[in-house]
Amino acid sequence: MAKVFRTDSVGKIRQKKAEWQEDCYSKQKELDKEFKTLSGIPVEALYTPEDVAPMDYLRDLGFPGLEPFIRGVYPTMYRGRTWTQRQLAGFGPPEETNKRYKFLLEQGATGINGVFDYPTLRGYDSTDPFARADAGRGGVAIDTIDDMRILFDGIPIDEVSTSLVTCQPICNISIQSMYFGNAQNRSIPIKALAGTSQNDFLLETVVTIAPGVLPPEYSFKLSCDAIEFCTRHAPRWNPVSYAGYNYRESGCTAVQEVAFVMANAIACTEELLRRGLPLESFAARLSFFLSAHSDFFEEIAKYRAARRLWAKIMKNRFGAKNPRDLMFRFHVQTAGVSLTAQQPLNNVSRASYQALSAVLGGAQSVHVDSYDEALCTPTELSSLTALRTQQILQLETNVTHTIDPLGGSYFVESLTNQLESRIEAMIEEIDRLGGLVKAVKQGWIHQEIANTAYEYQKAVEAGRMPIVGVNCYRLENEELPFEIFKNPETLAIQEKKLERIKKERSNQEVERVLGDLGRACDQGDNLMELLVEGVKSCVTEGEISGVLKKHYGVWNPPLF
Amino acid sequence: MTRQKRVVMARLGMDAHWRGSIIVARALRDAGMEVVYLGNQLPEGIVQSAIQEDADVVGLSSLSGNHMILAPEVVKLLRAGGAGDIAVILGGTVPPDEIAPLKEAGIAEVFGPGTPLEKIIAFIEGINHKVSE
Repeated sequence: MAKVFRTDSVGKIRQKKAEWQEDCYSKQKELDKEFKTLSGIPVEALYTPEDVAPMDYLRDLGFPGLEPFIRGVYPTMYRGRTWTQRQLAGFGPPEETNKRYKFLLEQGATGINGVFDYPTLRGYDSTDPFARADAGRGGVAIDTIDDMRILFDGIPIDEVSTSLVTCQPICNISIQSMYFGNAQNRSIPIKALAGTSQNDFLLETVVTIAPGVLPPEYSFKLSCDAIEFCTRHAPRWNPVSYAGYNYRESGCTAVQEVAFVMANAIACTEELLRRGLPLESFAARLSFFLSAHSDFFEEIAKYRAARRLWAKIMKNRFGAKNPRDLMFRFHVQTAGVSLTAQQPLNNVSRASYQALSAVLGGAQSVHVDSYDEALCTPTELSSLTALRTQQILQLETNVTHTIDPLGGSYFVESLTNQLESRIEAMIEEIDRLGGLVKAVKQGWIHQEIANTAYEYQKAVEAGRMPIVGVNCYRLENEELPFEIFKNPETLAIQEKKLERIKKERSNQEVERVLGDLGRACDQGDNLMELLVEGVKSCVTEGEISGVLKKHYGVWNPPLF
Repeated sequence: MTRQKRVVMARLGMDAHWRGSIIVARALRDAGMEVVYLGNQLPEGIVQSAIQEDADVVGLSSLSGNHMILAPEVVKLLRAGGAGDIAVILGGTVPPDEIAPLKEAGIAEVFGPGTPLEKIIAFIEGINHKVSE
C-alpha cells in the first residue's frame, strides 16, 4: 500500500477547497459555456489531492517499464531513444512514391510509413472500372509484386522499419505478401524484416467501406491469418495495428476509439488462442494506432488510460504473465479531421499541439499532418514542414527530458481514471453483444460512430465547438497561400505495366496459384502461408481479391 | 406548392470517407427531405438511380480527388438520359481552383470542407425546377 495522500490531509483540503469555492471562485464571473472534454466528460475548475486520494501509487501508477505501465512502456522512454518519426507518404505510381520515401529518409525520417491508394486498399487493380478514377489517389498504386519491387528499390528494407498502411485485411493479405515476397527476391529473409501492417477488419467493414466488402467474419479471418503467419515466420513484424485513429476520424469519441481498438484486439487474441497459438507467441506484437485530436489533456489522459487498462485486460482476461504482453504500444497521427481548408497555415499550429500531446502521452511513433491535407495530398514542402515540426518538438523543447511529465497532475490523473472506467464500460457493452465481430454484423458499431459524428457536427454548427477560421475569425475573400499538389499520372502507367506483366508472366502458374487459393479458402486454411510464395507469379491484387469474394461472398454493410 | 425534395446521394468511385456524406444525409432528412443513400457508386449507377427515384438533386461526395473525372460524367449521363434538369451538387475536398471548371461542366454547386449544413439545406430548398403536378 502506498496511498498518495493521507486521509486526514484530504479532509482538510476538501474543507479548504469548499471555502475557496464559496469565498473566492464563485464571487468571480465565469464564461457562459459548458466546460467539458471533446468526449463530453465534465471538467472542474480546479483539481486537488482530493480527486486522486483513493489512488495507490504503487498499484495505480508505478514506474516506467513496469506494471501497470501507465507511466510508459519502456524504462527510459525518450531519454533512451526518441519516438520514431514516421511521416505518411504515398501517391501516384510506385516510381513517384519511391522518390518521396528516399527524400523523407534523407531528411531524417526514422521509418517509412507507406500508404496505398484507394483501389489497392480495397483489393482492386488500377484498371478495374471502379478503380480507374482513383488510381494513385490517397496513396501509391500497387498491382503486382513488380510494383512492390519498384516502390522499395534502393531502400535498405533490412535496416529501415516499414509501416504498411494496408488498412483492410483484403488488401493486407496481398500487399504484405508482396512485401515479404519481394524481400525474399532480394535475398532478405522475412524473419529479419521489421515493421507493421495495419490489417484491421473494422476498417474494411465499418470505417472505410467500399464496394464489395467481405463479410465481417471473413475480413476478421484474413486479419488473423496475417497475425498467425507473422507469429510463425516474421517475429520482428507487428502484424496488426488496430486503427483507432481512423475510427476517430470517422466520428468516434476518445472513449469509443480506445474501446473499439481493445475490443478488436480482444477478439483477435481469442481467435489466435483458438487456433492453438500460445499467448506469449503473439501478444507482444499486437500494436495500436491512435489519434491526437485537439482536446490536449483528454488525449494525454487517453494514452495513459489505455496503457493501464490494456495491462489489466491482458492479465485478467488472458492470464498474461510476460510483462511484454501487457504493454500497450502505439503510433499516433495528428487528427486530419481537425484540419481546416480555411486559412490552412493555421494547421501547423494545430498539428504541433496535437503532436505535443502524443509525446507527453508516451507514444512510440508519431506522424504529424501536413498543413495542406484538408485540400490535397501533401506537397514536398508541407511534408517537410511536418517532419520539422517533429524535430523541433524533439530537439528544442526539452519535453523529452523526464518521463511522463504530467503523471501526478491532479487533473490528468483524475481524467485518466474517468476515461479508463468509461472505456472499460464500453468494452463490457461490446462483450454483452457477443464481441466485436457480432457487434459489427448487427450494425451497432456503425450506429455508434454515425451518431457521435452527427453530434460533433451539430456542436460545430451551433458554435459550441469553435474552429478558428471556420465558425469564428473567418477571412473574407481568402487566397490560398501555397500551391496545391497535383497527382501525377498513374492510370496510364499502371495500365501499361499490367499489360506487359500479363504477357510476360506464366499464366499457367497464375492459374495454379489462384486455384490453390480457392481451395485454401474452402478448407479454411491460412491464406498467407500460400500467398507469400504465390505473389511471385505476378498474380495481381485484383485477381486474388476476385477469388476471395467468390469463395467468401460479399456483404452489404448497414447504411447507417 | 413545392413537393418534398428528393435527394439521391452517393460517394464517387472508390472514395472511402463516409463521414461527410452520412452527416449531410442525416441533416437533409432532419430538414424534411427524402434521401436515398447509395453508398459507393460509379456515374452510371448514380444516374440510373436518380432517374428511377425521380430525384430533384443528386448529391455527390468525394474526398479522394476523383471528382474532376467522375462528377462531370454524372452530369453528362443525366443529360444524355433526358434528366438534365436534376441538379448535381458536390461536397468534399475540392481545391479552390477546381470549382470553376466543375461549374462549367454543369455542377450546380460545390461545398468544400467546413461548409455549414444549413447552407447545403438552403441551397437544395432553393431549387425549384420540379413543381408537383
